Amino acid sequence: MQLALDATLTNVQASERSSSELEDIDALVRTYRPRLLRFVTFSIGDADLAESITQDCFLKAYNGRASFRGDCAINTWLTSIAMNLIRDQQRLQKFRFWRQARATAIDVNEAANFLPSKECSAESRVLIKEQTKHVQAALANLSVNQRSIFLMRFGQDMELAEIAAAIHMPLNTVKTHLHRALKSVRAQVGGIR
Amino acid sequence: MKSSIHLVHLSDDQIFSTLSGDVSAGVAAHLANCSVCSRRVAEAEAPIASFKALTLAWSERRSATLPLQSPAPPPLAWHRRAVMAATATAALLVGISVPLARNEAPSAPVVTSHAMATPSSTAEVATVSAPALTAAMQHKIPEAPAAVENGQTKPQDEQIARDNQMLQNIDRALDNSVESPADTYELQPISSQGPARERAKTLEN
Repeated sequence: MQLALDATLTNVQASERSSSELEDIDALVRTYRPRLLRFVTFSIGDADLAESITQDCFLKAYNGRASFRGDCAINTWLTSIAMNLIRDQQRLQKFRFWRQARATAIDVNEAANFLPSKECSAESRVLIKEQTKHVQAALANLSVNQRSIFLMRFGQDMELAEIAAAIHMPLNTVKTHLHRALKSVRAQVGGIR
Repeated sequence: MKSSIHLVHLSDDQIFSTLSGDVSAGVAAHLANCSVCSRRVAEAEAPIASFKALTLAWSERRSATLPLQSPAPPPLAWHRRAVMAATATAALLVGISVPLARNEAPSAPVVTSHAMATPSSTAEVATVSAPALTAAMQHKIPEAPAAVENGQTKPQDEQIARDNQMLQNIDRALDNSVESPADTYELQPISSQGPARERAKTLEN
């Protein structure tokens, strides 16, 4: 009984903390925009459109902050909103997906310059660049669901159950999509030895 | 038991499950004891870790260059928009009507005066005496709605009242009751039958 009460109190406190975090829009954007921008960029393959969608996402989140119940992490909530916006874009066919958008996709060679020079040597920088190119190429060949789930799991660090809840998909289906995505990435990179 | 765990390495599916975060107790136990499988998992993770690191560095840099835009306020409800539109319209009307009222106020008594409005009335005014005109004006002033209702026309009313008073004073000064200097010397107007005329007639005859 006491444990249940403590758990309830902890949930309430976490909810209040999350709600107060949502009130400070500047801090919210500063904290979550990089990851969200990455998620949207690699979901649609267009960096410019991703910026617009990310901005819309924060606008929606801020305007709808009263509806946030605190039963999931803010990152998960924001990702769900971003996912809905991406789907809206797909429905409106404002862009052609990934394969057609490669021209505006990020340049890995250029992005490698942003890696912290203290943490990686020149050799490891080259290796990271090559591996990233392979993963990026693999992502381009995935289905929309496989790519979204892959990015949620490895980009947003979401648990499988959180992904299932965010995209309203059964847990086993999420596992299947992720399994196929990993298989495709392995094939692109060169296989697990 | 321990040897059986080491003999059978993890399958690709099990490694994928491990990467996905769906790790069973048996797989976790095997990974804890099998360096081969641990290395395979690490090798499978490496490209993904590289992708994460590089893309995060890119998105952090990109975010840093983007302006920190605060969301715009939510759109107003239709009734609030209607109220704001009505207020703006009212303010516009007041802004237009006040200068017009100022321009119209001095001529209000003239315009509303029926005696001055038509040509026939003008003819009557031409023959009417000054006190009568003053009385007519004084009678018409209260009928001007702008002068009565608008507080700004009060000074103009006072000016009109002063003018009327001045006209009355002039009337009084021109009144016949005032004694003429001719009366003092008992001068008589020249009549047609005066002595000069009689002398002229005699000379003619």
